[in-house]
This record gives sequence, structure tokens and C-alpha cells, in this order.
Amino acid sequence: MPTAYPLPKDLSPAIVTNTASLLRIIALGLISGAAIASRLFAVVNFESIIHEFDPWFNYRATRVLASKGFYEFWNWFDPTAWYPLGRVVGGTIYPGLMATSGVIYNLLHALHLPVDIRNICVLLAPGFSALTAWATYMFTKELKDESAGLLAAAFIGIVPGYISRSVAGSYDNEAIAIFLLMFTFFCWIKALKQGSAFFGTIAAVFYFYMVAAWGGYVFITNMIPLHALVLLLMGRFSSRLYVAYSTWYAIGTLASMQVPFVGFQPVRTSEHMAALGEHSSSMYQLIFIHLTLTGVFGLLQIVAFAQLVRSHVSSKQFQELLVSAVISAGVMGFFAIVALTYKGWIAPWTGRFYSLWDTGYAKKYIPIIASVSEHQPTAWPSFFMDLHFLIFLFPAGVVMCFRALRDEHVFVIIYAVMASYFAGVMVRLMLTLTPVVCVASAVAMSSLLDTYLDPKEPDTDEQKGRSALVGTTSASIGTSATAAPVAAPKKTKKTKEKEAPVAPGGVLGDLVSGVASSAAAAVQASETASTSKSTKGIFGLDTRFAVIMNTIGLLLFFVLHCTWVTSSAYSSPSVVLASTSPDGSQHIIDDFREAYYWLRQNTAEDAVVMSWWDYGYQIAGMADRPTLVDNNTWNNTHIATVGKAMSSPEEVAYPILRKHDVSYVLVIFGGLIGYSGDDLNKFLWMVRIAQGVWPDEIQEPNYFNKGEYRVDDRASPTMRESLMYKMSYYRFADLFGAQQPMDRVRGQQVPAKGPTLDYLGEHSVGFRCRGNVSNSSSADEAFTSENWIVRIYEVKKDDILGRDLKIANAFSEGKKRKRSKPVSRRKAIRGW
Amino acid sequence: MRFLGSALVSFLVLAGKVLTKSSSGDSVLVLLDPSLSRANYSIFFGGLEQQGYDLTFRAPKHASPAIAEYGVPNYSHVILFTPDTKSYAPDVTPQSLVGLLSENTNLLIALSPRQTPLTSLATEFSLILPPPGTPLLSHHPKRPEPANVIPVSVSESPILTPDTNPVWFSGVPHALGNSPYLVPILRAPSESFAADSTDDSGSGTILSASDKGGEGFWAGSHIGLVTGFQTTKNSRAVFAGGVELFSDEYAKKALPSGQRSGNAQFARDVAAWVFQETLTLRIDRTEHHRVNETAAPEMYTINDQIVYTAYISAYDRKTSSWKPYSGITDMQLEFTMLDPHVRIALPPVSGEPGKYEVQFRAPDRHGVFKLVVGWRRKGYSFLHTTTTVPVVPLRHDQYPRFLSAAWPYYAGAISTSVGFFLFSALWLAGDVKGEKKNLKGVKSE
Repeated sequence: MPTAYPLPKDLSPAIVTNTASLLRIIALGLISGAAIASRLFAVVNFESIIHEFDPWFNYRATRVLASKGFYEFWNWFDPTAWYPLGRVVGGTIYPGLMATSGVIYNLLHALHLPVDIRNICVLLAPGFSALTAWATYMFTKELKDESAGLLAAAFIGIVPGYISRSVAGSYDNEAIAIFLLMFTFFCWIKALKQGSAFFGTIAAVFYFYMVAAWGGYVFITNMIPLHALVLLLMGRFSSRLYVAYSTWYAIGTLASMQVPFVGFQPVRTSEHMAALGEHSSSMYQLIFIHLTLTGVFGLLQIVAFAQLVRSHVSSKQFQELLVSAVISAGVMGFFAIVALTYKGWIAPWTGRFYSLWDTGYAKKYIPIIASVSEHQPTAWPSFFMDLHFLIFLFPAGVVMCFRALRDEHVFVIIYAVMASYFAGVMVRLMLTLTPVVCVASAVAMSSLLDTYLDPKEPDTDEQKGRSALVGTTSASIGTSATAAPVAAPKKTKKTKEKEAPVAPGGVLGDLVSGVASSAAAAVQASETASTSKSTKGIFGLDTRFAVIMNTIGLLLFFVLHCTWVTSSAYSSPSVVLASTSPDGSQHIIDDFREAYYWLRQNTAEDAVVMSWWDYGYQIAGMADRPTLVDNNTWNNTHIATVGKAMSSPEEVAYPILRKHDVSYVLVIFGGLIGYSGDDLNKFLWMVRIAQGVWPDEIQEPNYFNKGEYRVDDRASPTMRESLMYKMSYYRFADLFGAQQPMDRVRGQQVPAKGPTLDYLGEHSVGFRCRGNVSNSSSADEAFTSENWIVRIYEVKKDDILGRDLKIANAFSEGKKRKRSKPVSRRKAIRGW
Repeated sequence: MRFLGSALVSFLVLAGKVLTKSSSGDSVLVLLDPSLSRANYSIFFGGLEQQGYDLTFRAPKHASPAIAEYGVPNYSHVILFTPDTKSYAPDVTPQSLVGLLSENTNLLIALSPRQTPLTSLATEFSLILPPPGTPLLSHHPKRPEPANVIPVSVSESPILTPDTNPVWFSGVPHALGNSPYLVPILRAPSESFAADSTDDSGSGTILSASDKGGEGFWAGSHIGLVTGFQTTKNSRAVFAGGVELFSDEYAKKALPSGQRSGNAQFARDVAAWVFQETLTLRIDRTEHHRVNETAAPEMYTINDQIVYTAYISAYDRKTSSWKPYSGITDMQLEFTMLDPHVRIALPPVSGEPGKYEVQFRAPDRHGVFKLVVGWRRKGYSFLHTTTTVPVVPLRHDQYPRFLSAAWPYYAGAISTSVGFFLFSALWLAGDVKGEKKNLKGVKSE
């Protein structure tokens, strides 16, 4: 057998196998190491701290779980959240993440390793990313072979699209969910391949874990039935499918109903997602229909029954009859669902579901969903940013799946199509796209490498001694595209284009043939292809060398890109900010923690803090104070109340604040140092959300000046009177002395005479706060952080004389009041 | 009779057996205008001193002794008998006086027809004074005294001793604004009015003013002469239209009817109220617990039966101590989350003085509730207490285990189990032929 380069001859197959397996283990170990290490930038650059917003709640919940035990956690009612409504935490969260950390915590303590719960929480996501890499390896191995698996594992280990959600400190549901997603899919594929009830059960168990961990479980809930349905429509019904799906469905659905938050939703909600779903962490409104889940199950039973009947009756006409019966049953079922929805027995689609189809829907009708930046449509550059060259390889991989088109490849194709669409609709759904991109790209790249590493020279008849690396699929790619009988033996060309197998014509042919033929036929075809004579292929070392070098270069750049993106873009805790000065030195901006610590140290333990809902979890976690609203947005009206208070004038807002027992109001203001994520930039969302509930009192156009959002002299009167504006710019001008004050975020010059506050600020009526001549003591902010990012105001108590606070302030500032006349009680009687 | 009573009281006081003191402290600062003779107020001040009050006199322009040092008031009560003082030492301003009230210092203030800083202070208390130089006048009843020295009959008030004789009054009236914290003590006689001259030459102006519709017309019984004010912090202030009300001269002056005037008793009653001797109530403590339990739980469960108890005391001036008080019959308890979910009467428990108790069912709604008692009656100390208690939903093991409504599901589960058992039995015990056939069927797929 002529080979392009010499191969050692005296190796026994056992040595080859053992070495390969050892190498695989080492490779997987290294990949895990790389996956974990690359997620530690956040810890190295900053510190071991919980990031962002939602993780703070998860962390707080985990601490409760660790200190009080599982049953107390399950029944945990948090009176400090959503004051005064409170939050039934146990019934409104996915407890999987906390339970995982709790188990790890207890395990380590049982081993007398007193690890702090915070460190477990911080490092959970990197740890699970190693498991994700392994699960992806297993999944891809089922798809192609071990080498593709290793590539996929390496990709998923460091790809930014996944790292963005799993850096150390990003203690969110997604941290463990992607592992569960991939492992459930692996088990499903395994169950389907083997027709194994055992793997079906494992898939169901991990599905249950996923349901307990992440709202994105609907992705699995819809992917697997859809896969089964497509297989059914392709005429690939088999007892393997029947066993795998029935096992998974029955156990998985029953198990998922045990999660309190999910409850009976699997059988009630159409989109299988609660209207009061967790907003940012789990609002994974993926997808189509719950109909598929149950519907496919029912359909499978019918088809199985039909198959049984057919095996007994064996009439061709009967089969046609059956098909029409199945279709009509499906149509009838559809109408039944419509009728049930219409009757209100099944919850109709909610807004988030619509927003998946019409990206403008949310902005028009449900501002609270649209206000989350993660729910915006994805910008094109972020595909490259998150996936780098994988996004180019991804289609190639999908096409290769068409060529093999076994059941598992159908799965990957469906997954790819669905995830691509949804990733385009919502930024955060990039996360679900990432695994399939890694898998498909790994398949493509490994096929390429297989082809070009294969030492076999093409113009021989011998097919023995193929390298262990080369799998069946790669063989089919390396050789003639559409199986020997169809493709006439052409003259060998020097294929310089490395993507020859993916030429358009071939693809189309494959597609047609692939869809037409059954899975068994496809496998058979590839088998025949691998054994048939090949007259085209790769000749010599130069071609191989060029392509391999090219590929290695790509991979190198990929690693560089991932490292760069991870360290610069995705490792900021966002609780601590970093700015770089012109000389390159780093300056840490720690305003948030400074302010939360102030709250913790200087305010009463039951002092209610009002802020926009983004900061609710952080205040609860770091300042340990009750909040009006937080990141779990199940009550739109309550959020709108806060929005109304923020966007109303002081005298309107004050009764709202008093009614809710608010003691402090916290605003984020970036105008001084140019922190663009501040409340004034979110202000219009507050207005919109408030407008949704009080359209008569709050109107968005009032906050614009001729369609412009301004904060300077030309700001609209409503804008200037609003509490948010006043709190943001209160005494801002003082900072600039004689200069014109400049808002560095909006890039506008704010008025030199700042707003005054009457109902917020230091409690001024008290004797001790004032001298004899009271000057400017009427309203001081309670606290402003170093860089003015966080400003906290105290809500004044009622005046002791029962006066309006505005009048009381005017009095204590020594202003003369206008003489009042007595109230006219009666008309004088004329003519006495 | 009255005289006899007050004589008895002074005798007792003189005997030194009973000292009646304020509930909030004994030190009194008197700012006395130099134009006023201290001897003319000996009955009033002497009475206070005999009760045990520690009076410090100071001219309004003197800086010491200071009302407050380092932001802490030095005196529990301040009497401002400075009706005509235009300028004060810097530590006495309307603002600082309001500041004193917020530090629980009580004020007794005498006004006069002249425009002084105290006039603008009265405005803050929702009292509306007539233009400067318009004292209260009345030509009835016929008497030798000038028209601006008026006998005023005292109406019923919990503040005053019942059946107090009419009092002599001379000074400025005020209209009452709409502040709910005002406590009218003495009203003007219905035939009196405020005018800028005592002779009848200005009567035409008054007539035309009344013709305009009463606006700006200070006349009749709806205007006040002595009015109390209780702040939200329960400190008290009294504005009297004239300082002569408290003088020995008026106290000794016989009424046109020949009776002795009620001024001494009235002044005593007013001082007792403003110094928080009378009508002073407080909530000693509140308790809440589930029925049949004693300790307050950390949180309640929905639909719990909650027992709420409040212990209320009144200050007894005779013994200078707080005594349990069961006299409130119209108190209510609210169980509030944003809005009251439960609002029920909180009646006194008979046989247990000072104890008010009620039992109620928590609403079927979880959240952070407040137990609020708010009792505000004119003249009395405001009672207000708030206790925050979370009400939580049922725990996972508190739900009913067996529901009769769920019989269809039970039946379904049982029948499926039985069916599965039978099927398994038949399958396992069935003949081998059928099994083979079935296997074949699977293989043929």
C-alpha cells in the first residue's frame, strides 16, 4: 500500500488502540484544564467575587440552602424581596444550581475540607465547563468519531459564546445547564441508537436535572419531540425510536412536574413556560410548541399500534389508509388544541413567545421584556465575536450531517436550524447555538483533517490497514461524493480547493439522495463507498502540508481570539469596574460595593430601598436590605409602580414612596465618569413600563423635546421635574464650580443651576440637623459614592406639624410665607 | 365652689404631700417680656412652682441661659410670654422653636395684636391671624370694662375642668386652618369680632367686610382664642391670643355676673395639657402570637388565627406615674399590606386594666403585613404602633394529603398500576409461542 509518508509497521493493533485511548484521555484532561483556566481571568484580574445581577440572588439562595438545609430552602419565603409582597422563593426558582452547590458544599465539608460557599459558587461554572467539554466529546463521538469528539470538546472548552456565561463568578443557571443540555442530548442519541430504555431513562433523569436547573429546558422539551416527529415523517419509525421516546417522555415529564416552579405546566401551558417565569435568568422562551411533546408521544403510540396491526394484516392499501388516518388525526388534534386554547383550558401563547417570531412585538406591547438588553436581536458582529471561525465551519458541518444522515445527524440538523434562528432573534440565545456550532464545526474540521492526514495514496486498489483515525463518515467524504454507482469515475484532479467535498452540486445531490433514502441505506452507501475503488484523492505531501498548516493556523488564531475576548470582554464582574488610564495602568472603580456597604452599615436593618429592578438582587445580596423590585420580574404592576415613582414629580412620587415604606432611594448615575449603563439611560424604559399601567399619568412623548431625549437646558419640563432627573443631577453642578457642568454619558451640558429636592434628602426638620440659620440643609443626598455612580437619597418623614414638605422646607430656609386668609365658612347674613 | 376646689388643690400642694408633675420633665424656661411684671403672674407661675416645676426666667433678648446647647434642648417646656417682643436673642427663631417641638419640648406661646416673629410662627401651625393691630372686641354683655376685655364662656373640652367659670380675655383672635392637629381650647364668643379700634367709628368697615361674604372677616364663634396643637411626635404647643389671660389681675377680676373668673383654673388646665400632664397616653407594649401559643412567631402562615394585644397606659398627674388605662373604646387594629386587609375593633379586656386584645384570622394572602394601631383623637396623645410580620404560604408538608376532588386521578393511577401488574403477570406467565411471535414482529421492523 503506497502511503504519502512512512508508517511504523511493527505496531500491534493493541498498542495502537491503547496509545490512542491514552492520548484521548490526556487530551481530554488538557482540554478540561484549558476550559477551567481560561475562565479564571475574572478571578485573576479582579477577585473571587460573584458577578453581575442574577448570580447574586443565586448566591444568596445558596447560602440559605447551605446554612439551613434543603427543606427550609424549599419553603423559603423571602420577606425582603418585592416588599411588601414578599417572594415565595422555593416555588419561583429553578433550584438545580443551588442544590448542586449545596451538595458539593456538604460533600467537601463531610471530607473536612472547609471551603467557603462563595468559592464554590464562584468556581462552579468553570468546573462544569470541563464537564461540558466531556459531554460534547461524548455527543460528537456518537456523531462521528473520537477525533471529532476531541475537537468539539476543545472548541466548546474555550469558545467565547459559552465562556460569556460561565466565567468564574458567573454563578447563573446557564453555568450547569449547558452541560446538562449536552449530556441529555447525548443520552437521547444513545438511547435512540440502541433502542435502549436504560439510556432513555438516563436522558429523562438528566432532563429532570435540567428542568430543575434552567428555564431553557424548554429547548430540550421541544428538540427531542421535534426530532422524533421528523424521524417519523421521514419514515424512520422504528421500535428503537418508540422505546427511547416513550421512556424519555413518560419518566421525563413526570419527573419535571416534581419541580415546584414547573408544576403542572408541562401539561398546561402551550409554550410550556410560565407567564411568571424568571425574567433574565430563565426567560428562555425558546420555542415552538409544547404540542410537539405530547402530540408526538400520542402520534408515536398510534404509529406503533399501526405497525403492529400492519405486521399482522400486511396489506399495502391498509398502509395508505393508515397514513391518511394519521394525518387526519394530527389535524384533528391540532384543532382540539386550538379549541382548548380558545376555551382557556390551555394557556395561550404569552408575549415572550410572540416576541420570538416578531422581534418588534415586545417593544410595542411588553416593554418590560424589551427593556432587557439580552433580549435584543443579535448583531452580526457578535456571531464572529462569540464563535470566530467556527461560524464558517458550521454550515460545512451541517452539510456533512446531511451526507451521513443517520438519526443522530437529523437531530443535529434540526438543532442547528432552530438554534440559528433563535440566536438571531435574541442575543442571549447565542448560548444554545454555541454547542451545536462546536459539534458541527468539529465534524467538518475532523473530516478535513482525516482526509489530509490519511497517508493513503488514492490510486491503489488496496483498502486494508486504514488508519484507526479514519471513520466511516470521513471515508465517504474523502472519496466520491454520492456513492460509487451514481458517480462515474472521473479523471483525478489535483484538488487544491480543500473544500471540494462540499461543492454545491454534490451537496444538492446528497440532500436529495439523503432525504430519499432511509438511514440504513445511507449507512450502507457510505460503507460501499469506503470499500469501492477510489480514483481521486490527495496526492503527495505538499498538498497535505499546505492544508494542515492552514488548519493549524486557523486553530491558533481561534485560540488567540478566544483568549483575547475572554480576558477583555467577558471577565468583568460588572460589580467592580476597571478603567485603564492612558499609561496602561488599571484603575478599579468600586462604587457599587462602596454604596452597598454604606447601606449595610448605616441604615436600619428593615429600611426599604427603592431602586430600578436591575439592582434589586445586588442590594439584597450585598446590602442585605429589603427592596421593592428585583431582577425576578413576575409582577409588572409593582415594577411599573417604581417606574412611576421615578418618572413622576416629587410630590406625586412621595405618597407612593411613603405607602411602600421606602426609606432610601438608590439611583445609578454615570454622568461624572461616563458609565453608560446608568439609570438615566434606562429611564425611558421606566417611563414606558409605567405608561403601560398608567397611560393617563405617564406619557413617553412628554419626556422628549421635539423627539430628542435631552438632559440639558432643552430637556422637557416633565423630564426636568421627574424624580429620576432630579436625583441624578442634584448638586451635580456644584462639582464644576464656575464651569458649565457636563454629562459625559449623554455628552450634553446640563443646566448650571441644578434641581432641588424637597421630599428626599437628609431629614431636615430635626433640631439637631440644623443650626439656627438653616442653609441648604433641606436636602442633601444621604450618600454618593466616590465616582458618583451610586447615589442614595433618604426619603423624609412627614413633617411634624403636618405641613407639606415643600412648605416646611421653605419655612426652615427662612422664606416668608404668603399670608393666608381664613377659610370662608359661611356667607354673612345680609341686612341685619 | 371652683374657688374652693382650687383652694383645696393649692392647700394640698402647699402641704407638700402631692406633687403633680409633667410626664415629660420638670424644667421650664420662661421667656418673659421685660414690660410684663412677674408679680402680675404670680398665681400662674407660683402654681407651677408649687407643683414642682423648675422655672427659669429669662428676658427674650438675653442669650443665656440657652434654650438648647449642642442641638439638645435644655428644658422640657418653654413658655413664651413675649407678646410684644420684636427681636429675640439669636437662639429664638420660629425655626428653632419648631425644632424644639421635634425634640419633644412643649411650647406655651402668648400672642398679641402686634406683628412679631411669633405671628409668622403661628402661620406654620395653620393658625390664621388677622391683620396687625386688630384685637378682639365685643360689646356684650354690658360691663364697665372696655370692649377689648371680654368675658368668654368656656365650652366643654376634655382638656379643661368641667364647669369652669367664664374667663376674661384680651388679645387677638385667630382663625383655624385645616390642620387636623389643631385642638381648639377656647373659642371666641359669637357676638365678638376683630377690629382695629375700640370705638364704633370703624363699624362701617366691618359691615362692608361682612357684606363681602365673610372672607377676611374675623368674627363669631368659629374663630379661636386659645388653641392647642399636638405634633405627630406628641409634643404640644398652645397659642393664646393674649398674655393677660394668665395674669393675676384677670384671675382676681370678678365677672359681670359677680362670679369669680375662671382664669386661674383655665390657665392651670391649659398648662397641664401643654406640659403633658393630662390626656397623655402611651402604648406600653404590644404582643402578637398564634392562638393557643404565647411566643410571637417569626412569621405567620396564611389563615392563622392571630391574637393581638396592646397595653396602654395613661399618665396620672396625681401620682406622677403611668397607670393602665382602659378608657378607649373606639380603637382599631389594621392588618395592612399596602392596603388594610383586616380592620377590626381592638376593645379593652374587661377585668384587666390597660389591656386591649383581639383575635382575627390572617388573610389568605402571603406577604409582609403590618399590624397597625393608629388612634388619633383631639386633645389626646396620638397612639401609633406598627409591627411588621411576614405571612407565608403553607409549607410543602402542610397541604392536605388527600383530596376528594382528586378521585379521578387516584382512580387513574390505581387502574394503571393494576393494569400494569396484570399485564406483567400475563406477559411473564403467558405461553412462549406468543412471545416468539412478538419478538419476530419487532425484528421485522
